[in-house]
This record gives sequence, structure tokens and C-alpha cells, in this order.
Amino acid sequence: MARNIEIRSAEEKDIPGILEMLRRLKKLNEEFDTRFTVSDDMEGRAAGLLKKVIHDRDGYLVLVAFSSKKIAGLIMIDVIDRIFYSPPGEGRITEFYIMPEFRRSGLGKVMLERAYSAMKERKIGLLTAEFPSLNVIARNFYTKDGFRELMSIFGKRMGEVAE
Amino acid sequence: MNAVPILLEQETSATETYNRDSVTAAEFYKGKIRSVPKVPIKTLADFSIWYTPGIAEVSRRISKDTSLSFEMTGRWNSVAILTDGTRVLGIGNVGPEAAMPVMEGKALLFNYLGGVNAVPIPIRVQDREAFFDVAKALEPSFGGFNLEDIESPKCFFLLEKLQKELEIPVWHDDQLGTASIILAGLYNALKITGKQLKDVRLVLLGSGAANVATAHLLKAAGFNMGNITLVDSKGILNPSREDMDSLMINNPWKYDLAMMTNSDRLTGGPAEAIRGADVVVSASRSDPGFMKQDWIRLMQDDPIIFALANPFPEIWPSKAKEAGARIVATGRGDFPNQINNSLVFPAVFRGVLDARAKGVNFDVMVTASREIAEFIKDPHEDRIVPNMGDWEMYPQVASAVAAKTSELGLSRVRGSRNQFLSTATEIIEENRRFYQKSVESGMVRELKEAGIIGKEY
Repeated sequence: MARNIEIRSAEEKDIPGILEMLRRLKKLNEEFDTRFTVSDDMEGRAAGLLKKVIHDRDGYLVLVAFSSKKIAGLIMIDVIDRIFYSPPGEGRITEFYIMPEFRRSGLGKVMLERAYSAMKERKIGLLTAEFPSLNVIARNFYTKDGFRELMSIFGKRMGEVAE
Repeated sequence: MNAVPILLEQETSATETYNRDSVTAAEFYKGKIRSVPKVPIKTLADFSIWYTPGIAEVSRRISKDTSLSFEMTGRWNSVAILTDGTRVLGIGNVGPEAAMPVMEGKALLFNYLGGVNAVPIPIRVQDREAFFDVAKALEPSFGGFNLEDIESPKCFFLLEKLQKELEIPVWHDDQLGTASIILAGLYNALKITGKQLKDVRLVLLGSGAANVATAHLLKAAGFNMGNITLVDSKGILNPSREDMDSLMINNPWKYDLAMMTNSDRLTGGPAEAIRGADVVVSASRSDPGFMKQDWIRLMQDDPIIFALANPFPEIWPSKAKEAGARIVATGRGDFPNQINNSLVFPAVFRGVLDARAKGVNFDVMVTASREIAEFIKDPHEDRIVPNMGDWEMYPQVASAVAAKTSELGLSRVRGSRNQFLSTATEIIEENRRFYQKSVESGMVRELKEAGIIGKEY
């Protein structure tokens, strides 16, 4: 297990560190598919979203991991109301990133377990995860932990669209 | 005028001569190797043995036990030199047809130095998966594969996948051959300077195929990976670099090294990496001004410098020595300590072929490197590795390699070191006698017949 790790809910002061991880994560997604080309103003827009998400504790869960005050990992979960299905509550992991230096130390697994506990406390019966289809590393990580494929999202570029 | 422009001028002139003579010779000889029967044919009736009908029984037996293909055909001594021509010498992606003369040259070295029948096979493929499929399909015909002049990181993928999936040794000389001779040179350089393998701080300048493989080999040899620092065009490799995720996807071999090296988490460029180092192994830019004398002055006592770019090292040996280097090696034969793959691959293949090996790995390479180093009985600053004229080295290293594959359970036949030494010596010497007789009888024509005169090559 990673050394001296602290995992807690994100606070506003963590936003710069979270933004760095989000930028790295989105750049990683870009490696898998050009449909995930990172926008120039990504960080400015993401900062605004993060402020909202961090304070909306019913709609989201944002956990951050630190090692000796250095940010090491992030997991961000959207809480979704499943109107048509049972169980009615779903936690969807939309962002999950471990800084390279802290990989292969079990930190990802520990953060996922913390997410399981938090979902259980909120009576959420289903945890899902989204990531680019070609991200084999993520696919293997979740599959190893008992996840299976539930739904596919297909994309088609619509050409130039006026802003 | 200082020494560097004179050397550059001489080198340029010599290169022009070699270029001209190579073209003349290529036009005259139309290829460098040929197939020659090794069985007696006195009458046409003999073909009843060598071909139909008798040969059908040999086929039937091999069909029942395919391992007999190593004993009843020439497979045991045949190596395919496979390339897609995407990174040929220093001239880049020239395609498979243009790669052929280089692969023929490699086949010549295989045969001349190691007694190996090597077949040049440049192939036209669209991607790495297609390359893998072709190689896999060719496996039944060969006792080993030598991958050559393939661009990075494709070469890492192919080596790893082919080594995993095939039942014959697969070698990529630009990676493994270079790494092995670097390690051999390091063994003796450390011995001369009294530095300890586990303590030395070592910098790898350049993170292409050769240095990535070298780093992995150093790990197998017992170097402390935390004391090793790699530097590429973006600076010192470390886990906090922005391109780590890109490397994880596109070059996981380099990514792995970023995770396991540089425990001090150094950042910056070559100067920051070299400060306080004992050894620099540079395989980066063919530019004698690339490595600065000031960098060498930042190193520990008795600096060891391997400046391996060709045709021009990253610093001239005289300049490195002037800045305090104790030992300098280059890739060139006109300076002491030539770090040259040709000291490795003929012997390694002689060894794995004699052992009918199913594979080759870093442990076998460490054995080869140690054997090459130990061939030099009294190493000194200007002799840390053998040279290609040290004929006795090849069977020595081959037998060490064969015995190691046998010990590791990688071989199809078992044998002692002495048995393998006797086999390798016999094959190499017989091959040399055969070739010498071909030359003496005029079957191999002299260069002067091609119009190349006035210089002894």
C-alpha cells in the first residue's frame, strides 16, 4: 500500500491539485481517441464546475488522496437517480486518476473501496464507471474488481458546428 | 586549426570513399551471400537421397515429431534477419527494398564471425501486428530471429510479443546487442576505477531502443535502479513529467523505467542528471559538441564516458579526457574501446543455436556480457572490450550462452560448458576454413576485380 496516504472529501483549497489531475486525465483520454481532444479553456471551465461539485454533497462524491501533503489521487462520482430501474440509486465514477508516482502501490484499489463505503452509507445500490472504450488499463482494473460492461456509448462527429 | 575540424574533414573524406566503394562493390557482386550445397552430388541419382523419393521419409518423421526439424534440416543453424526498414542505420525509414543491402551485410557478419546461416528478410507490412503475424508464420523455418532496424517503440512491442509467443530465440540487436556490449564495457570500466556496481550513479543520455534495453539489462545485472537516471529530448525522465500517461500508453517500456529509476526525483536536463554521476552512457545525438566538458567536470572522480552515437560521438575522446574522463568508449573503430554489437550477436546466436534454445532473456545476456568482459585478462583504460579480431572470444561467449540457456531450462539439448565450447569452436573454424578456401580458389573474387584498388580493407 502507498506510504502515509490520507484520503478525504475534497475541499475548495484542493481545486488547483484536482485541476492538474483532471488535465492529465483528459490528456490521457485524448491519447485513446481524438474525439476526446482537450479544449483550450478546459481548466477555467472545470474550476467553476469543481466549486459547484465539491459543495453539492448529495449530488456528487469527490475524494482526494494525499501522501506527505502531495496530491496523489482523485475519484469523482456523480450520484444518479435511476427512474426506470432498480435499485434506484447509482454512483457513476466519471473521473478516476492516480498520479504516476503513486501507481502500482494499491492506492487505486484503496480509493475504490472508500468509494464503495461512501456509496453504501448513502444507500446507493449500484456503482458504475465511465472511461474511453479503448482504455484497456481501466477496463482491466474494473473487471478485476467485479465490474462488467453494462452499456455502450457510440459517437459520430457532426462536422463543424457554429458556437 | 584545432583537432575537431581536422577529424571531421578526414572522416567526411573517408566516408565518401567508403560510400563510393560500397556502390561499386554492390554493382559488381550483386549480393553478399549465396546458398551452397553442403552434401555430395556425384551423379543425378544422388538426388533420390536429397530429394524425391527418399526425402519423403524424412518429412514423415518430422511430421510426427517437429523437434526433429532441428536435427534433420538446416533449421538448427538458420537465423532470419527480419526488418521492415523503418529505421535503417542513421538514414531512417527507407523501406524494405533499401534495407536489403544492410541486412545482407548483417548476414555476412553472422556467418563470418559466428558460422551462422543468416537469411535477410526485409518485409513490407503496414503495422506491428502484421509484422508479428509474418514472423510467427516464418517460425518453422528458423532456429532464431534477429530483428533489425525497426523504429521505436514498435521494436519493443515486437520483441516482447515474439519472445513471449515463439519457441525460438528472438533478438533485437539494436536493443539487446548494444545493451550487452555496453554492460561488458561497464564491467571492466568499473573494475579499473574500483567503483562498485551497486553504488555507481549512472546516467543514460538518450532513451531510444539501445538505452531503454540497457537500463533493463543493468537491472538484471544487479545495478541499483534508483541510482540510474535517463534523459531524453524532454529532459530527465521522472514520474511527475507531463508526458507520463502518453508514455504509459505508447511506450510502456520507457514508462516502467520512469517509475523504477531516479529515486532522487531529479528534474532538469543533462547537466542536472550528470552532476555527481560516476558513469554516462550516451546514445543520443551524432554531434561531437553535444556533451559539454563542463558536464564531465561535474562528475565524481574517475568519470566513465560512453559516447556511442555514430558516426560522430557526442564528445571527442580527447575532449572528454581533457575534462577529466578516466575511461572513454565510443562506437568507432578508430578510437580505443569500440562498443560494437558485432562482438555480441554472432556469439550469442552461435550459443543459442547450439543449445537449440527456445528463447533468450536478460539472464543469458548478463552471462554473455560477463564472458565478453572476462575475455580481457588485463583490462586498462584503452582496452575494456575485445575487438572483432579476437576470434577466440566468439566460441568462448557462445559456449557460456549455451550452457546458461541449458541451466535455465531454455534449451532443447543439454550439455556442459566444455561440450558447447567444442561444438562452437568446430562450427566457427570449419566455416572459416570453408570460406578461406573459397577465397584462395578464386571462387570469391577479389575487390580489385571490382575495380576497387589502392586500399586494404
